[in-house]
Amino acid sequence: MKPIEPMEPMKSSTLERIRNNYVVQAWLVLILAICFGGSLAGMQLALGPLIEANKINETLKKVPEMVLGAKKAEKLTKDQQLIIEPQTVEIEKNNRKVFYSVFKAKHPNGDPAGWVAKAVGQGYADKIEILFGMDNKLKKITGLFVLDQKETPGLGNKIMEEGWRQQFVKKKTATPLKVTKEGAKAAHEIDSITGATISSRAVCSIINTTIKDLRAPLSK
Amino acid sequence: MADAPTPYERFIQGILPENPVYRQLLGLCPTLAVTNGLNAAMTMAGATAFVLFCANIITSLIRDLLKPHLRIVIFTLTIATFVTIADRFLAAYMYQMSKTLGPYIPLIIVNCLIICRCEVCASKQSVVHAGMDAIGQSIGFALALASIAAVREILGTGMLFGMRVLPEIWPDWVVMVLPPGAFLTLGLLLGAVNWYGCKNKNNNEL
Amino acid sequence: MSYIVDILLIAVGAALINNFVLYYFVGICPFIGVSRKVDMAFGMGCAVTFVISIAAFLSWTITTYILKPGAPLSKWMAGFFVSPEMAANIDLTILCYIVYIFAISSSVQFVEMYVRKFFPALYKSFGVFLPLITTNCAILFACLTIMSNVAGVDNPADAWDLGRSLTLAVFGGIGFTIAIVIMAGIREELDLCDIPKPLEGAAITFVVAGILALAFMGFTGVDSGLKKALTPEPQETVQVQMIQTSQTLTCSGL
Repeated sequence: MKPIEPMEPMKSSTLERIRNNYVVQAWLVLILAICFGGSLAGMQLALGPLIEANKINETLKKVPEMVLGAKKAEKLTKDQQLIIEPQTVEIEKNNRKVFYSVFKAKHPNGDPAGWVAKAVGQGYADKIEILFGMDNKLKKITGLFVLDQKETPGLGNKIMEEGWRQQFVKKKTATPLKVTKEGAKAAHEIDSITGATISSRAVCSIINTTIKDLRAPLSK
Repeated sequence: MADAPTPYERFIQGILPENPVYRQLLGLCPTLAVTNGLNAAMTMAGATAFVLFCANIITSLIRDLLKPHLRIVIFTLTIATFVTIADRFLAAYMYQMSKTLGPYIPLIIVNCLIICRCEVCASKQSVVHAGMDAIGQSIGFALALASIAAVREILGTGMLFGMRVLPEIWPDWVVMVLPPGAFLTLGLLLGAVNWYGCKNKNNNEL
Repeated sequence: MSYIVDILLIAVGAALINNFVLYYFVGICPFIGVSRKVDMAFGMGCAVTFVISIAAFLSWTITTYILKPGAPLSKWMAGFFVSPEMAANIDLTILCYIVYIFAISSSVQFVEMYVRKFFPALYKSFGVFLPLITTNCAILFACLTIMSNVAGVDNPADAWDLGRSLTLAVFGGIGFTIAIVIMAGIREELDLCDIPKPLEGAAITFVVAGILALAFMGFTGVDSGLKKALTPEPQETVQVQMIQTSQTLTCSGL
């Protein structure tokens, strides 16, 4: 019988085989990564400005309401729209730098309309973020809006309610505000929400601290 | 493959018999977290449906090119991309809802439901199968989320979709919109679904 | 001193008040699946804590140096292609989800290989959980929280440093371990009870978890109380004020 001849081994160097293995297998991942990366970049270009505008408008839209009151703000026609200047006020307090975001509102003819300050403080459950308006001379509070809160739903949540927030309008800033459970009688007292004393106190203390900190810088 | 389910079967299976939440116990993180109200729950269901559908379609299109040990990487990459798209889209067009849902939209990436469907169905069957499977599972997920959210919202705030449904004298069971309420509702509803399933099985056997 | 108070508050917050499982609902799958026996539950908790800390370290580093707007490494790389002013505005946060999930998967892979090779006894006790942890919501959630505190703050001075991020991660993992071990202890007792048939398995676990969550709600407000107790009363210090008018753009009202 004729001896069976051994077959010739396939010609390929070890290096080539290794390179074949990894790169060939990863080519799909790389191509997908490039495609997806490109689509994400395109989406960022398209939607990025929209998202930024959303973030800014959230606070900017509230400023006229804070300064003039809801009814007057609604009635503003297009050429009566307020000019809003965002500012950052930096204060050194207890050896720490604290930043406040402040908005100066002006009528189109240049007359100052008021100030709006954004402040954050500790509430009952987590931080409470508020926006409150003051008149030009920083003598009275002209509006209050709660931007962000994580208080107990149904209890501390009620700080967002229009009725409770209305109490703050026309309060004088000279005396710090105080929360009372019985019923507000004096000019600087605020009715607390039943069952949510701590949340009510937190809002008042945030306002008091902010007014105290900002009175000097903004009066200049 | 004579035994592989047809697209129609995939669709029907996803709604009740293989419901992702009540039967497979997948995707529990968003089920508990966003079911405070029906608005948030439906937005989350919509986002998950979008990601599941797109991921299934793409995976099915490239199923012949997948290598066994790189497929999880590819699934993850695809899912993460579509979740980013969904998240940015929500932030651009539904900003308030995006803030309410917070970190739970990116958590769709690790939602076991999507990886599971890619693995079980999309990487093995055609685009039509994968698409119908995605639609079926999404409807099932939406049904589950809606059921839990409806119970929590009605008992917790007396509202549905933000509109008052129960009379004013209803004392809102605030605990239902807090974390304990989520767990209790899911547990009891799961028990109810199991009981219903057992009863049906008994009736069929008799 | 105030740094230590900050760390303490973050730690207590992550472990007890805003417990990852019972408040934020992340990490539910292992919570239901692995909580049958106390020793397995403890092993799972340790594995999660370990992986969370590694993932947090990676994600903080990547976010601070590569992903956040104006990050040093990206700015330097982009400086080769575009003008320096454009490079300073570079913002790669759109890629953060993809980067995080790959960082988590690869760190889990490396940890598993390392533990299997060098600590075989340890691998026997919790190594088998490691692949499951990749899809654990808790890890990604910790990374997302760190990102929102590093890249999502309005004021760069408030951005978290590595210490705070690691504290959140480690104590979040510890909170997860506490919750899962308590649940395992309860379920071991439940095995000896008469449970109605429809509620067996996951359903009764959820009901018990609900009662646990109710109990943990009692911790609310502990951090603000601690903060008040530990922070000294601020005296009327001299205030040095500066006004910076940033962004001279004036936007009209609506």
